[in-house]
Amino acid sequence: MNSHLSSTEQRPASVAQESLDRSAFERLFRECAADVHGYAISLLGDRAGAEDVTALAFERLYRSRARLDRSRGTPRAWLFGIVRNAALDELRRRRRRSLGSHGAEPVEVGEPSQAIEQAERRATVQAALLELSPREREVVLLKFHGQLTNGELARVLGISESNAGTRLHRALASLRQTCAGLDREEVA
Amino acid sequence: MKVVPFPKSVDPHDEQSFAAQLEAALHGESGGEAADHWRELRADVRSLAPPMSPQFERELRGRLAERTAAPSRGRRRPSMRGVIALMQAWLGSGMRARLVAVGGICVMAAVVALAIASPWRASEPSSSSSATAGRVDQLGPSGGPIKARAQTQAQTFSSSSARAASGQTLPAASAAVAGESAPTRVQQRAASITLAPKPAEVQSVADRIAQLAARDGGFVQSSQVHLQRGSGGEANLQLSLPSARLSAALAELARLAPTRAQSQSLQDITDEYGAARSKLADAVAERQALLRALSRASTQGEIESLRARLSLAGGAIARARSAFQSVARRGGNSAVEVTVLGDAHAGSGRSTLSKALHDAGDVLKVALAVLIVALAVLVPLAILAALVLLGWHASRRRLRERALS
Repeated sequence: MNSHLSSTEQRPASVAQESLDRSAFERLFRECAADVHGYAISLLGDRAGAEDVTALAFERLYRSRARLDRSRGTPRAWLFGIVRNAALDELRRRRRRSLGSHGAEPVEVGEPSQAIEQAERRATVQAALLELSPREREVVLLKFHGQLTNGELARVLGISESNAGTRLHRALASLRQTCAGLDREEVA
Repeated sequence: MKVVPFPKSVDPHDEQSFAAQLEAALHGESGGEAADHWRELRADVRSLAPPMSPQFERELRGRLAERTAAPSRGRRRPSMRGVIALMQAWLGSGMRARLVAVGGICVMAAVVALAIASPWRASEPSSSSSATAGRVDQLGPSGGPIKARAQTQAQTFSSSSARAASGQTLPAASAAVAGESAPTRVQQRAASITLAPKPAEVQSVADRIAQLAARDGGFVQSSQVHLQRGSGGEANLQLSLPSARLSAALAELARLAPTRAQSQSLQDITDEYGAARSKLADAVAERQALLRALSRASTQGEIESLRARLSLAGGAIARARSAFQSVARRGGNSAVEVTVLGDAHAGSGRSTLSKALHDAGDVLKVALAVLIVALAVLVPLAILAALVLLGWHASRRRLRERALS
């Protein structure tokens, strides 16, 4: 597992209940930068674009911190809304599909046997994600990278909470079926 | 290969239970194999994205540190683009916010309308006064002689202005009528004035008008008083006043009760006056010539003929004198029509507080009228702008979503 993942396995909430002043912004950056970058690179498919979007998102967040609406979600959800818009704008500009040619970089694991199993599993997950429709893939990425609740997902996607829950449920069901299908193909 | 399963204890069709189990698993609040699988799946998905390069992270941190180091500069002087972006973001934050925005625009429109209305209303009496003053300058001071220097054959001036309900008396418009007319001109003047006392005062005001006419050397030609319980009474009086006293009489009339309207007219009758005088002079001269001829007559027939003609000449003189006197009376007296209308809101005897309240009511009425007009213009514009903004937002969102297609 990547080093940045360990610190964000549990959803950070330290900046959720306070105003987004300078220190809170810096804390949000520390807690979310890796997730934002991961989400952007997963959506855009290249590192340069992801870095541009990440930088743009944090700058926009800082510029718009005065109008951060607490009733509409946490700063983290607000940030991922900005990232999504910026990434989609970038995608629209480039007319590129998400999850491009980048591959999973080597990960550090303990046991060799575990590493092989993990690498195989992740390759399957990656292939299954590529099989999903862009909208399904987006909601999965947003859920796991952004670590957002369904309500926050709904606000980021601009849909109702129940709709967001349905979309996530279907996306994960598709992911599961695709993974199972890929697994059967491999066994055969 | 390990396939990530859905939790077996949860009905896959029950989205709420599914969401609850997923949230609990991802937040580490639940244990078991299924929760572990969800967490593994999350870790797998996250691991597919390469980590941020340390160099980029350092650069980004540095850039943001620079930004956050001087936060107040940008906030103190927001650019127009920033303000527009702020408004767009604010308007885009839900239907409630949009409604608030439309309401705000309406309130702003009302404020602008009131700002426009206030000077307009304040200038209304002054413009009326200046118009009256202009007429005074044009026509000269009041109380002038019947014969005027003015060369115009017929001039009619009328001034009418609504009187403010504050009870303020209009300036004596009688002053507007020519006073410094040339002595060679004869002018006929007329005036009308509408007074608005309280309904209970209609009769007393009518009586005082009659007294005033008599005191000024005039008389009441006709009078009609109609009183009705529960509503405003009405009186109409036709006065004949000496033209020389017209201005002063109108001023005194205006003091009897609040003046609602006032008008004056002037007509040059010099030619008519001169014709009547010439006719009278001719008739007199003819009679004198006949008298001289009679003194020289010698025959009975001639004497009888001259006497018959003298008789006719006497009748002609009487008619000419009558016509002349009629024209002279028209120049010497002015017809004044006084209308007295009972007005429950008349302010002649009201306190300052009630006047102020009445004025405030009037101001509010005018403001409301202006507001309605302003809203009639601005609300459709605001709705149009809101629709355009909504359309723009929807279009932008659709374009973004299309990027995923």
